[in-house]
Amino acid sequence: MSHRGMDDDDDEYEEEEEQVADFDEEPEEEEEDDDRRGRGGSGGRGGRKRRRSGFIDDDAEEVDEDEDDDDDEDFDGRGGARRRQYKKVSASNFFDEEAVVDSDEEEEEEEGEDDFIVEGGADLPEEDDGRRMRNSRMLPHHQEDHEDLEAVARSIQERYGRRLAEYDEETTDVEQQALLPSVRDPKLWMVKCAIGRERETAVCLMQKYIDRGSELQIRSVIALDHLKNYIYVEADKEAHVREACKNLRNIFGQKITLVPIREMTDVLSVESKAIDLARDTWVRMKIGTYKGDLAKVVDVDNVRQRVTVKLIPRIDLQALANKLEGREVVKKKAFVPPPRFMNVDEARELHIRVEHRRDAYGERFDAIGGMMFKDGFLYKTVSIKSISAQNIKPTFDELEKFRKPGESGDGDVASLSTLFANRKKGHFMKGDAVIVVKGDLKNLKGKVEKVDEDNVHIRPEMEGLPKTIAVNEKELCKYFEPGNHVKVVSGAQEGATGMVVKVEQHVLILISDTTKEHIRVFADDVVESSEVTTGVTRIGDYELRDLVLLDNMSFGVIIRVESEAFQVLKGIPDRPEAVLVKLREIKCKIEKKISVQDRFKNTVSSKDVVRIIDGPCKGKQGPVEHIYRGILFIFDRHHLEHAGFICAKAQSCVVVGGSRSNGDRNGNAYSRFASLRNSSCIPPSPRRFSRGGPNDSGGRHRGRGGRGDGLAGTTVKVRQGPYKGYRGRVIEDKGSSVRVELESQMKVVTVDRNHISDNVAVTPHRDTSRYGMGSETPMHPSRTPLHPYMTPMRDPGATPIHDGMRTPMRDRAWNPYTPMSPPRDNWEDGNPGSWGTSPQYQPGSPPSRPYEAPTPGAGWANTPSGNYSEAGTPRDNSAYANAPSPYLPSTPGGQPMTPSSASYLPGTPGGQPMTPGTGGMDMMSPVLGGDHEGPWFMPDILVNVHRAGDESIGVIREVLPDGSYKIGLGSSGNGETITALPNEMEAVVPRKSDKIKIMGGALRGATGKLIGVDGTDGIVKVDDTLDVKILDLVILAKLAQP
Amino acid sequence: MTTAPAQIPTSFGHELRACLRCRLVKTYDQFRESGCENCPFFKMEEDHERVVDCTTPNFNGIISVMDPSRSWAARWLRIGKFVPGVYTLAVSEALPEEMQAICEDERVQYIPPKRL
Repeated sequence: MSHRGMDDDDDEYEEEEEQVADFDEEPEEEEEDDDRRGRGGSGGRGGRKRRRSGFIDDDAEEVDEDEDDDDDEDFDGRGGARRRQYKKVSASNFFDEEAVVDSDEEEEEEEGEDDFIVEGGADLPEEDDGRRMRNSRMLPHHQEDHEDLEAVARSIQERYGRRLAEYDEETTDVEQQALLPSVRDPKLWMVKCAIGRERETAVCLMQKYIDRGSELQIRSVIALDHLKNYIYVEADKEAHVREACKNLRNIFGQKITLVPIREMTDVLSVESKAIDLARDTWVRMKIGTYKGDLAKVVDVDNVRQRVTVKLIPRIDLQALANKLEGREVVKKKAFVPPPRFMNVDEARELHIRVEHRRDAYGERFDAIGGMMFKDGFLYKTVSIKSISAQNIKPTFDELEKFRKPGESGDGDVASLSTLFANRKKGHFMKGDAVIVVKGDLKNLKGKVEKVDEDNVHIRPEMEGLPKTIAVNEKELCKYFEPGNHVKVVSGAQEGATGMVVKVEQHVLILISDTTKEHIRVFADDVVESSEVTTGVTRIGDYELRDLVLLDNMSFGVIIRVESEAFQVLKGIPDRPEAVLVKLREIKCKIEKKISVQDRFKNTVSSKDVVRIIDGPCKGKQGPVEHIYRGILFIFDRHHLEHAGFICAKAQSCVVVGGSRSNGDRNGNAYSRFASLRNSSCIPPSPRRFSRGGPNDSGGRHRGRGGRGDGLAGTTVKVRQGPYKGYRGRVIEDKGSSVRVELESQMKVVTVDRNHISDNVAVTPHRDTSRYGMGSETPMHPSRTPLHPYMTPMRDPGATPIHDGMRTPMRDRAWNPYTPMSPPRDNWEDGNPGSWGTSPQYQPGSPPSRPYEAPTPGAGWANTPSGNYSEAGTPRDNSAYANAPSPYLPSTPGGQPMTPSSASYLPGTPGGQPMTPGTGGMDMMSPVLGGDHEGPWFMPDILVNVHRAGDESIGVIREVLPDGSYKIGLGSSGNGETITALPNEMEAVVPRKSDKIKIMGGALRGATGKLIGVDGTDGIVKVDDTLDVKILDLVILAKLAQP
Repeated sequence: MTTAPAQIPTSFGHELRACLRCRLVKTYDQFRESGCENCPFFKMEEDHERVVDCTTPNFNGIISVMDPSRSWAARWLRIGKFVPGVYTLAVSEALPEEMQAICEDERVQYIPPKRL
């Protein structure tokens, strides 16, 4: 290794050579990397490459040199002749070495030499100049060896300063690329050292180098802050590294690992951990009184590592006054004053001196005892290290507090930057509605088309703009409109869903689906979603709405589930008290089914609807959710506090509409009524009876308790129709029909209410109601049309006579197939409060009462159901309805009608023909008052006309003003024309693929084709729109063939 | 040895500072006493305030450069032309403008740290 010693003297040549080599090599570095050995060995390529490969070979050889140091000798000997040759060119011993190493490929070497000269001279690219300058940097070192440091440095600067002036600041990436490690460069070796001693080791090695001089052949030592236990040593050979590390107390391991050439740059590229503190950045204080407090950066002094922040002062003015006046200050360490804006006047009152000062920017401050205040904020200059700026997510309240009084929401834009900085990747997605919040395009709305790295291409809503505009994502904010249903995807409210009710800049106010409370969230944190979740509704075993026993033996119902705690409405009557309870503070869930007695000694069970008649919540009513220790938890969806829960003593409540647990909730309760089982419990209120049946209690439940349908959740058996004999659970009570989930068929079918019997175990279905009242509630209003409150039982009360006094509103309610009717109306109708307003429910109208007792069973159970499998109900009703009608003195139209007439026509629903007085009636309204479901005939449909025991088919030609029909007999209507009354005829039930006409609902009058039949539903393809609709078969009639 | 190396830090703790121009690492006291070997024109040894202006305690990783001219790492980090010594891999702050002006006057290059 003797030649190594000369290296220093020959540096300049080495450099020169290196520089040329660099030029040649760089473009193909990668390649060489891979196959340098192969190439060096084969050497069968072009001359230029071969020359280079010679150098490379040297490198490759060098790696091996450890093993065959002796070989050097040989090379030297062999290369002796060549040396002279080289000296002509470069006078370099160093080159000699190159040559020597490669001496087995002499011819190639020659070629290479030629190349070298040419390239080194003429063909140098311009860039070379700079390189040459750089590479010749060692010159001064040699020449000015003994001059003092400063002179050296100055001379360096003189030389390079000039150069740098020429090659001004062009530290381009390309130039950096040129510096990528080549195989000729020293290598990096990873050396294990004592943990925590990395820097020390590096410095020790430096010291060792200084002490020992060039004895140490290492070039540099690197200690990374983020890499513990290792240092990197840069050297040509592993042996050099070993030599250098010998006897170092912090290096004990023997293992030395070579860093692959490709990874060398990675070692050196450290992320500068610059805290990018800009003004208006939100930060948090890390230490002191303000630890954890949000602060806003107002000034950054990077050099001094100080930052001025403004925060809400936590100053105990009294203590401050005491201190300033030299009085004794009692130091209470634990006490941290709450954040409060500084009020200068208040301070003055306490004789605290407030001075006015101006800072370097000329801003006015109030100075109190060395602290600077402005607008109530404290301006504090602290070390950058004492604040944290990473991942600061100011909460809503904090931001709100921070807003200067009188500062408009616009001031928040600055804070947006911080919020945006925390955005995750892929924040915007195609289709998102966005709004530009910054820059020239501010307030422009659009839809995301495409997302690039930082740019979001949006399709602006405004016309006259380019199709898509690229906007920096930092200038964009998601945009929502009131009414959007959204889901919160991050932040404290994560998981909650709700409807946007207000948009304030980038802040949305939602009505939570769960709690019905307003939540304020950042637009950034939500996505549009139709999903209705309750957010978190459960922690551990406890769920929203559960009744729980608390630690201190108090109890309450969970009204909100927060991230780590529950909000519990405690079971203290008349004084609503909601407390925040941690999971561990809950002892257990109370699931007992208890009944208590209300004020009138009626039994109250869970799910019963009660009305509070005492106390602050007097007048409220709703179903009982929980009962415990004589306390009822009532859910009133109109109650806006405590998620709708009211806590009341059982003694201050009365059951409304009878205890549902007693089971009389539906059709067959007639018989029960006859026995007046309930009457014993509840003083029969006239109101109740006047409504024509027990079912309106169901109707009321609907109004109050969300979807607490009369029958929903009960198990019923189908008595008639295609599903006769099936058992199932009622999932929806639609008034005249119910939707039943069949137990045996996993299928939901619509069954006429009269076709079911629910004397099968009647089990109030808790889940359903919970579901309905909870998460689904926002949907509720829109759903209500599906539950028209009228029930067949009430229909009887609606005798044809009523037609004359029918109100438009009634009509709406009457016809369940009129979805256009404002849902709210129906729904409000279901509200007890509004019961009295509809004339047909005149409370206490005596006439209706009679039919309770006499009719039950009769018109009900004995119905000849024969050919009325689907539409059979009307008959029941008519039979039932007609009987009492004479007792209705108030209905003028009813007068002419006699019970006998009804009995003549037992099979026809309405009493229409019997009421000539109603001639002027609107033809569009259901002609058959007896059953809202009953078809009212229309021209062109096929009907069966029954007359005097004679049955003939015909086609309705015309509707006469008196309610009768002109019918052309025969299947095409070409025969004799007769006039028939509606009760004399019956629409021909269409079969599959028949042409039909729709006789009711929104599509009344439309024609179509029946493409299928599903139970009582017909699947209709409407001619006009080609829509496929599912309609009740009852309102479909076969169309006459023209 | 061809070039006199810079002072070597006498400790490895928080008192270490890095020159904002050349990234030489020394202790505050060392800078105050003898300035920066590569950047004598800052005259830190004459004006102690300058030490604060021209150096930073915020740096990331150190590299002891024994042989700047022949070290690839030094070249890559662009400290190959400086005197041997202990340097840092990266500083995050830029030299104050005033100091940058001095660099300009002295016709020495100053490359501000790249912001990521």
